[in-house]
Amino acid sequence: MVMVSELLRYRVTDPKGHHTKLVDLTISQLDTDYPLVTHIIYRLPDQKGEAFLPWKIVKGIDHATRQILVESHKPAKEIDTLDQAVRLGRDVLDALILDLQNRRTTRANDLWLEEEKREVHLTAADTSGRAILRRLVRGRFDDRERRALYDWKYIEFLRGDPQAVNSGAPYHGRIVRLPPGEIAHLTSTIPYLHAAELLALLPKQLAADVLEVMAPERQLQVLEELDEAFAVQVLEHMAPDLAADIIGHLDLKLAQTYLNRLPKRSGKRITDLLKYAAHTVGGIMTNDVVTVSPRLTIREARSVLHEKLKEPDFVYFIYAVEDRPPHKLRGVVSLRQFLTAEDDQTVEEIMNPYLLALSPFDSPTEAGYRLLNSQLAALPVVGKDGELLGTVTIDAAVAQVAPRSWRAQAPKVFS
Amino acid sequence: MSEKGAPQGLEPVEELDLSSLPNRPGALHDSLRLNIRGRSVTLRRFQHSPRGLLKWLLILGPGLIASSAGNDAGGIAIYSQTGAKFGYDLIWVMVILMVSLAVVQEMGSRLGAATGRGLLDLIRERFGIDWAIFAMAILFIANSGIVVSEFLGIGAAAELFGISKWIVVPVAAVLLWYLVIFGSYAWVEKIFLVMTLVFFAYPVAAILAGPDWGEVARGAFLPTIRPEREYIFLLVGLMGTTITPFMQLFQQSSTVERGVARRHYGPERVDAYAGAIFSNLISISMIIATAATLHLAGQTEIESAADAALALEPFAGNAAKTLFGVGLMGASLLAGAVLPLATAYAVSEVLGVPKGVNLDFRRAPIFFGLFTGMILLGATLSLIPNLPVIQWMVAVQVLNGALLPVMLIFILRLINDEQLMGPLKNTRIYNLLGWGTFTLVATAVLIMLGGQVLSMVGVIK
Repeated sequence: MVMVSELLRYRVTDPKGHHTKLVDLTISQLDTDYPLVTHIIYRLPDQKGEAFLPWKIVKGIDHATRQILVESHKPAKEIDTLDQAVRLGRDVLDALILDLQNRRTTRANDLWLEEEKREVHLTAADTSGRAILRRLVRGRFDDRERRALYDWKYIEFLRGDPQAVNSGAPYHGRIVRLPPGEIAHLTSTIPYLHAAELLALLPKQLAADVLEVMAPERQLQVLEELDEAFAVQVLEHMAPDLAADIIGHLDLKLAQTYLNRLPKRSGKRITDLLKYAAHTVGGIMTNDVVTVSPRLTIREARSVLHEKLKEPDFVYFIYAVEDRPPHKLRGVVSLRQFLTAEDDQTVEEIMNPYLLALSPFDSPTEAGYRLLNSQLAALPVVGKDGELLGTVTIDAAVAQVAPRSWRAQAPKVFS
Repeated sequence: MSEKGAPQGLEPVEELDLSSLPNRPGALHDSLRLNIRGRSVTLRRFQHSPRGLLKWLLILGPGLIASSAGNDAGGIAIYSQTGAKFGYDLIWVMVILMVSLAVVQEMGSRLGAATGRGLLDLIRERFGIDWAIFAMAILFIANSGIVVSEFLGIGAAAELFGISKWIVVPVAAVLLWYLVIFGSYAWVEKIFLVMTLVFFAYPVAAILAGPDWGEVARGAFLPTIRPEREYIFLLVGLMGTTITPFMQLFQQSSTVERGVARRHYGPERVDAYAGAIFSNLISISMIIATAATLHLAGQTEIESAADAALALEPFAGNAAKTLFGVGLMGASLLAGAVLPLATAYAVSEVLGVPKGVNLDFRRAPIFFGLFTGMILLGATLSLIPNLPVIQWMVAVQVLNGALLPVMLIFILRLINDEQLMGPLKNTRIYNLLGWGTFTLVATAVLIMLGGQVLSMVGVIK
């Protein structure tokens, strides 16, 4: 039907032919594919100030003479409720939007409205440079063929306020369909407040996955802007080593708050990791590993591990660990061996007892090279009494060895 | 048999003798105790934030760079002119401008930290595309002009030392380009910070010139106004070169890129203050150095920064020439990179395309394309002989002057926006200083524009 920038230059005319200036349009239902235009805001004819009219009072739009015909200029009485409403011109036009089709962040250079059964919907955004040009020359030389309209359904409109999600602002939420890496990539080119807003929009687990792959400085900025309860949930769903990385960089006070509020199990895991300095093997290992008693038969082990295998990121190796303290590491079983073993065999029979083990106080770079040379997916970390403390995965090893510029792009195998 | 029990990987893992392993690392690692769930835990992962001098040195960044870039080739020329022509008389202006610059730059960095957005991002969102394009167009034209003058400065400084500009200018252009294209923001910032050390050449030159410090103090704290056309014009010129739109832009956008968040803004403001104080002290040293030599000797006509260096030689010796030459080279290099960056930020923000030194050509083609284009343009034009550069610079100054009050209004309105700024909104004293600066600058610009118009129609010459 019409571009918003164009429509905003139309006049509002009543049956007696009195003109007044259109100021803006409000929209609602931003969580639907195509938000509905609900009110027109116009300048009062005689006095200064603005007034609202519901869209249903519009009798028609005359594009030839650029007029919006209304039944009367008398303002509606529900003005007070519209203060919080989203305005097309003020809030959406020129705002930062995520164009999910093209996986990019851009600005809403113009907006496209469609009329259907006397209702008007926001249906597309024009993100081309031409749209800017068109607005500058006030719509002259408009070339309708060359508009770059992107379906509003695939556009996420952000307000730049991390608290908006909590206060019930509506979103499409289509972004949750993208893989975490792509979402993280999108957030790297938007302001940190927008990134925090976007993260708050996601389900906990996805938010945790996205946060895991963000650049380190961005992680801190974003986490601190999140609502505390949500931040704790996100940390809980992250891999403990990555959560410990973030918490280790926070202000002590905030770190303490988070550690105290985390559920007991994940809180303990993260706290255990925080005991090791950053530049030690303990500082790069994860302690979310799958363990099993070596004496169990494979059948028994399967039923025990059924639940245990659901959670951790790293499930490729199952470690055989003694039941009794000090829980000595006895061997390792790969997932493939575990799946293909006979039911009646014991774990002890199929496990590999000849392991390379790391000490938590080793140099992480040395450990990284050792792991890469071994061509294994992970090496276990054992303590003084031979107890299993955690494992260094190939991801952590690559992060130690790869050049800095490479690290952000290196694929994560276990996340 | 080895002393440490079974060798790793050759015997079962359970047979490893690990008893020699330490229970905890030695004193090598800092530890701190935190109370978690009622139990005291020793944690070693936390990095101690640096204290003392190091802490403040690490805060230095965008503010110091932006303000220092204002002491570029054009700046050096006008400060030298001021010293040569009117001695110490105009130093007081620089003292006042120190406060103004500090206030304006601090507001820029606060806007950046509080919103995570650049100045033109905010202008587009709050005041519409028309104003954003207006500001962008002026900045683009004006900055393109200034970039040429920076590369001229690089060439002139090279020739002072007897090296051909045909070698130095292309090499400098390639180096600056390479640094920004392939460096991360943190790396680029560090190099820029190191480059600001060059400015210490000017205080040394000022001291070597052996000024009468009593006179300097009088000039700094006793304002004098002379009803002379040239005096007024220089006064206005000083304001125009000390506070420039590109500096606010760069300050805000690079604060954003540095990743300063609103919760940690507090100490960061020191960067903006330090930058303003440092850069104005440098400008004052230029005035002192030329006032104590050229002005006393009656040599009052200085056209450019390189002129100043040459003119100093007979009075202050080879050392002064060298110091001014080194300063000019460093300043032009710094501004030669900062200006294209500020422009690239501005245009990308208005168009809403990805921007940032941390990205690469593939992800931010417009940002890096603009940066490349401006460097190329500056270096090429500066090598063409006999271009009417002085006339261009006048035009550029007029443009920048016209834009500055507009930018200040935008900044002051944005920074008083409760919804945008929250607790980082301007305080009353800040508003007072901010609007005071605006009045000062607006008056200066009106005088300058008026003067331009009058001289154009031939009323004054």
